[in-house]
Amino acid sequence: MGGFFDKVVELFSTPEYIDSLLHGFWLTIQISYFAILIGILLGTIIALIDTAKPSKWLVIPKFICRIYTTIIRGTPMALQLFIMFFIIFAIKGFPSIITAIIAFGLNSAAYTAEVIRGGILSVDIGQTEAGMALGLSRRTIFFKIVAPQAIKNIIPALGNEIITVIKETAIVSMVGMYDLNMAAKDIGSGQNMASYIVPMFVAALFYLVTIYLITFIVKQVEKSLRKSDLRAEE
Amino acid sequence: MENKNTDLKIKNLRKAFGKNKVLNGIDFELVEGERVVILGPSGSGKSTFLRCINWMEEPTSGEIYFDGVLLTEKNIRKMRRNMGMVFQHFNLINNLTVMENLTLAPVKLKLMKRDTAEKRAKELLRHIGLPNKANAYPASLSGGQKQRIAIIRAMMLSPEVLLFDEPTSALDPESIGDVLELIRELADRGMTIMIVTHEMSFAKEIATRIVFLDKGKIIEEGTPDEFFNHPKTPRVKEFLKKVL
Ligand SMILES: Nc1ncnc2c1ncn2[C@@H]1O[C@H](COP(=O)(O)OP(=O)(O)OP(=O)(O)O)[C@@H](O)[C@H]1O
Ligand SMILES: [Mg+2]
Repeated sequence: MGGFFDKVVELFSTPEYIDSLLHGFWLTIQISYFAILIGILLGTIIALIDTAKPSKWLVIPKFICRIYTTIIRGTPMALQLFIMFFIIFAIKGFPSIITAIIAFGLNSAAYTAEVIRGGILSVDIGQTEAGMALGLSRRTIFFKIVAPQAIKNIIPALGNEIITVIKETAIVSMVGMYDLNMAAKDIGSGQNMASYIVPMFVAALFYLVTIYLITFIVKQVEKSLRKSDLRAEE
Repeated sequence: MENKNTDLKIKNLRKAFGKNKVLNGIDFELVEGERVVILGPSGSGKSTFLRCINWMEEPTSGEIYFDGVLLTEKNIRKMRRNMGMVFQHFNLINNLTVMENLTLAPVKLKLMKRDTAEKRAKELLRHIGLPNKANAYPASLSGGQKQRIAIIRAMMLSPEVLLFDEPTSALDPESIGDVLELIRELADRGMTIMIVTHEMSFAKEIATRIVFLDKGKIIEEGTPDEFFNHPKTPRVKEFLKKVL
């Protein structure tokens, strides 16, 4: 166990190692952040099209959305990443971080769309009907009635999706990108510490702390959204 | 009859859900001040009939005139403010307080300024004995309280007609009395009402006319006395034997 402790000291007292870890961590964060952003934006659009009242204008968009989510959810993320890297964005000099963000963003959008769709559909139809009976517009009904209630159901599942994306980005090391996972491998390799165990544990700790923080934030948001479920005092 | 307006005129209304023909040619007129109780067996299309009137369900064919205006997909939203609807399950908006439930529509539809709407809402809440519930959320209210608030929410828009679909069916016996009392009061003040209910004694008491639906058709209508004491069709006789 003394060896383990020595390695910990070695890692934390070598500025290059710390630097590599932080670099890797930063890339992980960047890819995750923008992928999640794209996922939420595109996912919301898909969910809105999917749950919109059927009309002749929406037949094709609805069909496209269905196909899209089916394909994305029916194939492995790693394969989607490879296709993006080696086929679609196999352009010389194209920044790999952008390719990765697009790949994870498009993937996350399909899952996020399902989360949002589920959230919208879980709102009792009677809520919409109350708004209709009062003569409110579809817009007002959506923004004032349906969306605020849907969000309560969406937040916990969206939190899970965010966590999944952060962890899944670790596969970018398979296409040679220097993320947190890759940094750990690099530091542990023969030319460096020649031992994987400590850098791997430290990288795991980075992921764990990040995800713990996100879980905490999601719980707080959930709590503050739940105020209308609590019994208000007279 | 004196010079009263016809609020509603329905011609050959039909509604089908896929192959299921629910309304099969309904002709109907509602005159200002009338209180029509709709009776009929389960599945006869009572709810669907009410819901077609404000286009909660789009009619398959037929015409509905409200105040002489033919209802269409285009004008229905504007017309809905003239016909309040009260649902079996209250449908108060869960994420809004009682006050917000009451003021949302009049303010959004620009029928009232916010402070006027709030003042009116407070008056109505006081009137139904719930002045201290303005800031409560629906989840903290009893069924009877919710339904009475749903009724005054509809009244906030000063509609010409109120449509009630089994307003007391989801309530405990004690709350039923409170809700019926409020509807009775609206009736006394001359409100035009259409109501689907299973409360036969209330139907007798409140109705100016009873309409009986069977398989999506009006097969008998008349005053409560005619309907309950001198039913004409065997179908109604059989129905009354069961419910009375
Ligand atoms: N949205 C809908 N989609 C498909 N079928 C429907 C829908 N609404 C009603 N129906 C069908 O229409 C028929 C009549 O229903 P409706 O609710 O109008 O009857 P009702 O007279 O109100 O019955 P009850 O006394 O049980 O409330 C039923 O067969 C029902 O299954
Ligand atoms: Mg019904």
